[in-house]
Amino acid sequence: MSALASHTIPTEERRPAFSRLVTVELRKMVDTRSGFWLPIGVAAITLITVIISALVHHGHEATLAHLFRNSLMPGSFLLPILGILLVCGEWTQRTTLATFTLVPDRGRVLSAKMAASLVFSVGAFVVCLACSAVFAELVGNAPGGAGGIGIAVLGQGLLFLMTAMLIGVAFGAAILVSAPGIVLYLLLPTIWNALAGAIHSLESVGNWLALGNTWSDLPQGNLSGTQWAQVGTTLALWLVLPMAIGWYRFRTRDVN
Amino acid sequence: MIEANSLTKRYGARAAVQDVSFSCAPGTVTGFLGPNGAGKSTTLKMLCGLAHPTSGSSTLLGRPFSQIPNPGRHIGVLIDASAAHSGRRGRETLALSAQLLGVSDSRVDEMLELVGLDKSAAAKRVGQYSLGMRQRLGIAHALLGAPELLILDEPANGLDPEGMRWMRGLLRDFAGRGGTVLLSSHLLHEVEAIADRLIIIADGKIAAEGTRDELVGDKAMTRVRSADDHALRSALRGFAIDVSVADDGALLAEATTEQVGDVALSAGVALRELGSSRAGGLERLFFELTQGADADAPSSDPGTSISAMEASSTLQETVR
Repeated sequence: MSALASHTIPTEERRPAFSRLVTVELRKMVDTRSGFWLPIGVAAITLITVIISALVHHGHEATLAHLFRNSLMPGSFLLPILGILLVCGEWTQRTTLATFTLVPDRGRVLSAKMAASLVFSVGAFVVCLACSAVFAELVGNAPGGAGGIGIAVLGQGLLFLMTAMLIGVAFGAAILVSAPGIVLYLLLPTIWNALAGAIHSLESVGNWLALGNTWSDLPQGNLSGTQWAQVGTTLALWLVLPMAIGWYRFRTRDVN
Repeated sequence: MIEANSLTKRYGARAAVQDVSFSCAPGTVTGFLGPNGAGKSTTLKMLCGLAHPTSGSSTLLGRPFSQIPNPGRHIGVLIDASAAHSGRRGRETLALSAQLLGVSDSRVDEMLELVGLDKSAAAKRVGQYSLGMRQRLGIAHALLGAPELLILDEPANGLDPEGMRWMRGLLRDFAGRGGTVLLSSHLLHEVEAIADRLIIIADGKIAAEGTRDELVGDKAMTRVRSADDHALRSALRGFAIDVSVADDGALLAEATTEQVGDVALSAGVALRELGSSRAGGLERLFFELTQGADADAPSSDPGTSISAMEASSTLQETVR
C-alpha cells in the first residue's frame, strides 16, 4: 500500500456542492425500508382519494379542478410527517454522527433537507395532477366534461404542498425527535383551532393564525389580498417560527 | 495530526471533560484509555465538531474540524458503530457517504472487501447486523475517503479475537504508512498491544500519558500464583511489598522475581507460576489511576484517589 497524504489540507479543496447534498438527502428519503414504502403509501392514498372523489354522485362533480383539489388533501396531511421524519430520522437513528462528520456545516445540511423537501413536493404535485387528470377523463361524468384547470389553482396547489412539507421540516428541526415531533405537529394546530373556536375573542384571530382556515384554502384559487395576508401570518407562526427555532437547535445541539 | 488544547465540557456544574490537552503525531497510534463515563467519547466528539466544548479548542491537520471543507477525505471517524439506520442496507450506507464525499462507487466494494463483509452481508439491512458486523461496517465507513487520520471510539467493541487481531494489523499498517490513529477503549488489553502511546483519562481529566515504558517506568513487577495466595500475600506485605490482584486472579507484586521467590520460600508457600510482568505494571497503574472515577468521593485529584484506594485496600487487608 502506498504512503498516505502529506497531513495538510490543500487550500484549494472545495466543499461538496450543495446540489450533491440535496441529491444525497433525496436518496436518504427513499433508500431505507420505511423511506421506500412511505412515499408509495402517500401516492396510493392519493390515488384512492381521487378514485372515490371521481365516483361519488355518479361522477357528476368529477371535474379536473375538483379532483385535483381533493387529491392534495392526503399529501397536505402526510407530507409534513415525511418532513418531520426527514429531519428527526437522522437524530433518532443517530446517522447525524456520520452526516455531520462529513458535512460539519449543519446549516448546509438543514438547507439541503429543505431543498430536498421542495423537490419531493413537486413530485407529489405531479402525482396529484396525473391521478386527477386520468380519472376526470376516464371515470368523470360531469356535465361539460373534465373541464380545465386555472394556473392559479395549480400554482397555489403546489405552494400548498411545498409549505406543508416545509412545516414538517421546521417542526422536525425544532423538536429533533420523531414521535414527539409528529404528536406536537398534529396536536398544536388542533388545540389552537379548538381554542379559537371556543373563545370568542380569539375568533377573529383564527383566520390569521390557524392552519385550518386560510392556508388550507390555498388550492381554491382566487384569494383576496386579505386572505393572502392571512396565509402569510399563518405561515409565519407555523413555518417561520419553528424553522427559526429549528435552525438554532439543529446547528448547535450536541450529537449523542 | 491532532491537537487538543484545554478541552472542557461542562453539563451544569458537572465537568464531563476538564482541561484535556494532548497531541497525536503522524505515524503513531494513540490509545485513549479510561473507564466508561470518564469522558472519552465526549472528548472525541468535541474533536469532530459533534459536541461543542464549553471552553478550549482543537485542531485536526492544523484546522478546527468545522473549517475543513471536505473532512471525510482526510479524517475517518467511527464514534459509534450502532449509529446506523437499521432499515438501510450495509452497502447503501457506504454508498451514500461515498456520493457525499465524491469518491467512486468501486471504492465502496473495495472497503467492504477490506473489512471482510461479503456480498450477502452487504446486501442485508444494518438492523440484522451483529455488533461485530456493524463495527466492520463502521471501520469501512471511516476508511472510505482514504483518510490520513482515524478517530475511533471503542472500535474493538463486539469484535471476536480474530477480528481484534485483524484490526490491530489494519491500524498498525495505517500508522506504518504515516497515518495518525486515535482510538479509545475502556479495556487496557485492547489497546496496549496496538498503541505507541497511551493517554489515560479518569473523571474527565488526563491522569497519565506517555509510552508504555514511560508510564510503567522501570519499576519491577512480578506476576505470581501459588498454592496459598492469601498466605503469600500476607508474607509479601510483611516485607513491605505492595500486592494487587490482576483481572484473572493472579497476584501482582511490586518486586523482582527473585525477591518474590525468596519471600515464598521463607513463608513456605509453593509457587505455581512466577514471571516478571510489565503488562501487570500497566494494568496496576491503569487500575489505580481510574479508581477515583468510580468512587463516590468528590475527590477528583488522581493523587488523592490513589492514596484513598490504597488506604481502602490496606484496610481490607487488616480486616482479613
